[in-house]
Amino acid sequence: MTMTESPPSEAAESSAAPLPAVGGLYDWLTTSDHKAIGRIWLRFGALSLLFFSVIGVLISFERLDADAIDVFGGVNSYFQMWSLYRFGIVLMVAIPLFVGLATVITPMQVGSTNIAFPRAALAAAWGYVLGSLITVISVLSGGGWGALDGVSGDEADAIRLTLLGTGMVMVSIILGTICVATTVVSLRTSGMGLTKVPLFAWSMLVAGSVWVLTLPVAIANIAILYIDLSGGAGLFVGAPNPSFDVYAQLAWILDQPAVYAAAVPVLGVAGSIIPVVAKGRQVSHEAMMILIGLAGLLAIGGWSQPFFGDERDTLVYIAFGVAALVPVLASLGGNGATLVAGEAPVGIPPAHMVGALGSMLLFLAATAAGALRVIDPLDLIGTTADTGVLNLVAVAAILGALGGWWFWAPKTDGRLFSGIQGLGAMTVLLLGGVLLGATDMIAGFVDTPDVLLASADDSLGDAMIVLSMVGSIVVLLGVLGALGAIALAYVKPGEADDDPWGGHTLEWATATPPPAGNFAEPPARVRSEAPLLDETPGDEGGES
Amino acid sequence: MFTTGFKFFFGLTIALTIGAVAYGYSTGGEHVGPVTLGWKGGVGDHVGYLVLIGGAFASACFAGIIVAFRDADPAAQSHYMGVEAIAPTTPVTGSFWPVIGAFGGAAMVLGLVLGSAVFVLGLVICSLVAIEWTMDAWADRATGDAEANKALRDRIMAPFEIPVAGALGVAVMALAASRIFLNATKLGAVVWAGLIAVIIFGLGILYAARPKMNKNVIAGLVLAVGVAVIAGGIVTAVDGQRDFEHHGDDHGEEHGEDHSEEGEASE
Repeated sequence: MTMTESPPSEAAESSAAPLPAVGGLYDWLTTSDHKAIGRIWLRFGALSLLFFSVIGVLISFERLDADAIDVFGGVNSYFQMWSLYRFGIVLMVAIPLFVGLATVITPMQVGSTNIAFPRAALAAAWGYVLGSLITVISVLSGGGWGALDGVSGDEADAIRLTLLGTGMVMVSIILGTICVATTVVSLRTSGMGLTKVPLFAWSMLVAGSVWVLTLPVAIANIAILYIDLSGGAGLFVGAPNPSFDVYAQLAWILDQPAVYAAAVPVLGVAGSIIPVVAKGRQVSHEAMMILIGLAGLLAIGGWSQPFFGDERDTLVYIAFGVAALVPVLASLGGNGATLVAGEAPVGIPPAHMVGALGSMLLFLAATAAGALRVIDPLDLIGTTADTGVLNLVAVAAILGALGGWWFWAPKTDGRLFSGIQGLGAMTVLLLGGVLLGATDMIAGFVDTPDVLLASADDSLGDAMIVLSMVGSIVVLLGVLGALGAIALAYVKPGEADDDPWGGHTLEWATATPPPAGNFAEPPARVRSEAPLLDETPGDEGGES
Repeated sequence: MFTTGFKFFFGLTIALTIGAVAYGYSTGGEHVGPVTLGWKGGVGDHVGYLVLIGGAFASACFAGIIVAFRDADPAAQSHYMGVEAIAPTTPVTGSFWPVIGAFGGAAMVLGLVLGSAVFVLGLVICSLVAIEWTMDAWADRATGDAEANKALRDRIMAPFEIPVAGALGVAVMALAASRIFLNATKLGAVVWAGLIAVIIFGLGILYAARPKMNKNVIAGLVLAVGVAVIAGGIVTAVDGQRDFEHHGDDHGEEHGEDHSEEGEASE
């Protein structure tokens, strides 16, 4: 037995030595570092973005001529992919990309050494990965969110699995968001009151609060649907033969106002990037915080779920739809004023600037389209205008997340991404988003139906469907360009300084890549929302 | 005394409450319904009223939490706690349990559709994760020394973990191997049994000869063999067992007679 024991001297030596660094898969599975956890969200979110962009193109191709083209092999398969795209692009792409970005950046922005509840954050990241895989695999196995034309017994099981997989993704988002929001509320560094929190961190606190308030309602919907389908009661979803009503019970999460919550962090990304590009402070930081808070408040959508009846013709729904435009427009104005007041260099804008401004413009277009959509006489609800609003929000969120990723790449990935490639990809993505949203809106005005696989009764509608397909291809090209540039940055990494942009907030006071614990020394007491622009205490003779 | 955050959320609470009452009365609220949450009389349009009053409650909660934590301002906290500075966040060690918990959750989700056995497996995994996670969280804060914390945690948990993990590992491997043996021919089963034994023996010899081998290499080898056996077990279990030779029809008849007798007896 003594053969297995270390000699005393060796044992003493090994206990004193630091634990050996183990890299690779081990770190991905066990890490408690918020940066590595955030990268799990970001990388799987990027893969999901590619997958769902391809699905989007295939759906738009199928819509060209329902009779002649049969990409998916039947009306049910089309409906499965159509609904998969809608749930996926919001719940498995847009929101996870922001959660990933926030998991990496937010703790550094507020001067914390780590995220709150790092183990819960890791469980959330892997829960998101597994939940997404379960959802996608179950849909590809014949599941989905209901059916248009009857299903077999196995497919009914797959539908229940799809619902549960969606629920798992939602739970993971809630858990990851709670970690981020708790970090912003309780781990801020000395002197950083709530009003001095950087705008991205604030926007994640606001959006996270909205997700935490909204997603449990959807999870409750899923629980009711699961019980109804499993028990065969068939109260409202046609069990044991699930119908379109399954989708209808959950579609509110992809509809305004709830869907706007996915894009609220766009305001924070833009609010963090634009003052840095302008080389000046945000004109009114506190006003921007109020506007972001208002945008979040108007994106609370749990009350619009249709279990008790259709709320889409109530005064509250219309008021929310119209009012959502105001904070986004005002926020764009605030950022514009910051640009004008600052000293932004004239010339080709950096990629992150295009991402930030482009995403705000798309979000503004989404809220404007949403405001039109709720106007009753226009009769847009149930037409492709529904998809138009969804696509504008989704592309706004994706563009904002990519813009943020480009900006914070030295901190998230320890390297710079190519500016030229990023600029091209984001410009293409912006154009694709505009084309996608505008064509779906115009097709909605000529009453092109949203769900069913049917041709428009109008030549303008047909033309818009063709242009919409072009838009989805352009979006895919933009996504391919962006992800290709990120991949290339790993093949040929660009040198990155600790603060390549002249940043204002504490994440730029860390090394690149940031070390474990983020800061070599605790940050100095924060005195404003842009601590790196403040004079050091020594300049004014010490801190009072 | 009252922090900025508290003032903000308290003000929001008041504004939303007034808004809810005004909205309730303006949309058909009766008697004192809008001021008693509908206890005595109607609240008018219930959706709008619920949004506003819900917002008021949420703001009140935020106000309470935020004043209790002094806006989470470390300077204010340190003043109230009478210390120089609040300690930074406690370093948290890496752990497999969050990932295992995620897989346990996934097993529960799958089990709700595939069958109760998978659900129970997920539940057991999640329960184990809850215990382990709790112990890890406690150990991280037990002392200021990370090494001592780890030793303390291992001293308490290892006597439970090693036997349970060993028993589970042996059970899973035995189950998987038995499926392979039952699927293979008689001679094939002997060959497989010999092969698996030789591989395990070989790994043992390798480790004995090179005790300082890289941990990743050892983990990779053990994982590869384990995954191969488990995957083989799953594939062969799905494929089914080989045809077993029975001794004529007597075997079936005996069973048939036994069943009918049991059936009659039970009746």
